[in-house]
Amino acid sequence: MDRGLYVAMTGAKQIMQAQAVNNNNIANVNTAGFRSDTFSFASLPIYGPGYPTRVNAVAADSGTNLSSGVLGSTSRSLDVAINGRGFIAVQAPDGTEAYTRAGDLQVSDSGAITTTGSLPVLSETGPLVIPPSTQVTVGSDGTVSIVPLGLKPSAQSQVDRIKLVNPPAKNLQKGADGLLRLKGGGKAPTDENVTLVSGMLESSNVNAAQSLVNMIELQRLYEFQIKSINSTDTNEQAAERLMLASS
Amino acid sequence: MDLALWTAKTGLDAQNTQMAVIANNLSNSNTTGYKASRAAFQDLMYQNVQQVGAQSTQNTQYSTGLSLGTGVHIAQTEKNYSQGSVLQTSGVLDLSVTGTGFFQITMPDGSLAYTRDGSFSMDSSGNIVNASGYPISPAITIPITAQSVTVGSDGTVSITTAGAPKPTTLGQVQLANFINPEGLQPTGNNLLVESASSGAPQVGTAGTNGLGTITQGSLETSNVNTVTELVNMIECQRAYEMNSKAISTTDQMLQYLTTNLS
Repeated sequence: MDRGLYVAMTGAKQIMQAQAVNNNNIANVNTAGFRSDTFSFASLPIYGPGYPTRVNAVAADSGTNLSSGVLGSTSRSLDVAINGRGFIAVQAPDGTEAYTRAGDLQVSDSGAITTTGSLPVLSETGPLVIPPSTQVTVGSDGTVSIVPLGLKPSAQSQVDRIKLVNPPAKNLQKGADGLLRLKGGGKAPTDENVTLVSGMLESSNVNAAQSLVNMIELQRLYEFQIKSINSTDTNEQAAERLMLASS
Repeated sequence: MDLALWTAKTGLDAQNTQMAVIANNLSNSNTTGYKASRAAFQDLMYQNVQQVGAQSTQNTQYSTGLSLGTGVHIAQTEKNYSQGSVLQTSGVLDLSVTGTGFFQITMPDGSLAYTRDGSFSMDSSGNIVNASGYPISPAITIPITAQSVTVGSDGTVSITTAGAPKPTTLGQVQLANFINPEGLQPTGNNLLVESASSGAPQVGTAGTNGLGTITQGSLETSNVNTVTELVNMIECQRAYEMNSKAISTTDQMLQYLTTNLS
């Protein structure tokens, strides 16, 4: 059998996977703080005797586009967006430290500050917990201050500070839960230069127009691959007919 | 079936739910004390096809892995407890809270519910009740002899009667607050009930302990910002269309496959 068939098949399969990544980006076009995924192919020459004429396309890696989304005003005091680069440190369900840009924070019944997925937000010393309070304010450096329950607004007190980090993008990878972590584990150090804006939420950084163009491109590429499979098949059939005619 | 199709389908589902949330907000844009909800999107699990940091050869590692996202879902709806604007109604038992705090309502089963809707009235026995006829807690009964009813900013209810020079104090409307009001469960009829995530109610006198003050003769309007909702609706519609386009494109790809390789 002609190996050309398999080369085209591999291409079609990988393109379908790339389309899945692109569809995932489109599905998350409204997810606060979502970072879009990228997809890349690598060439894998077929090993063995003979001319190295055939090269398979294989999915090489997926990366994450860490560019910023658009900040939208929500006027809710616990919605925070990161101004520029950086991440909010949260505790993943497995206890490890993970990073997110989604800043729609909540206060749980036990006073823990959590993100949408109920993940505790971390301070320098561990999960950030506030005492019963009537008003919670997040400052631009992540400082959380409260008015304790039963006291006047003048009794405003500082509780703790949200851990904000800014590790180099090349050291970050997206986990199966969509959170970013350091490659190889470990904790990133606090970065004093990361600032928050309160009352704003960062949108997804998915570029809708770009995603739609990618989608068309992938569709056409897919059709090329199918066309090659088809042509290889036609060639084989022609060869077969020739053999039959000559016998 | 293919991952690409299902991923786009989750997008359609989530946008559809968001549209329901927006439609509910818009339909309640005139509901007294209504607080707008917001759908919070979250990405679904990722399929790890190739582990990052795995050995590509004995001496080298993959610098990035290959993980395929499986779509989006709506993790929760969050209520926005910002203050609605205050409407002057001059109704004697129309109360509004400026600041934090909820009125307490005794439900027919004896449990307590909480509301920002202060459009109270009297039932046949003179009890102060809400629009559904459920009494306020602690219960306050206004006697038939009352000529005028006054509710102070701290919730004190007093009446004047014919022949009495001094007003008589009947009781006090108390307010409850929660550590996490967003955790209250909406049950309809403008009522909210305590849940595991809201924490226990902290009951107190209006104007103290950080609780808001009560104003008689006014109602708090819905805090739905119709302009925001309409913009959200446009965004939601376009996102829906894009997901629908993603499904039809993936479908066309598969169709091309079946028609050309048959």
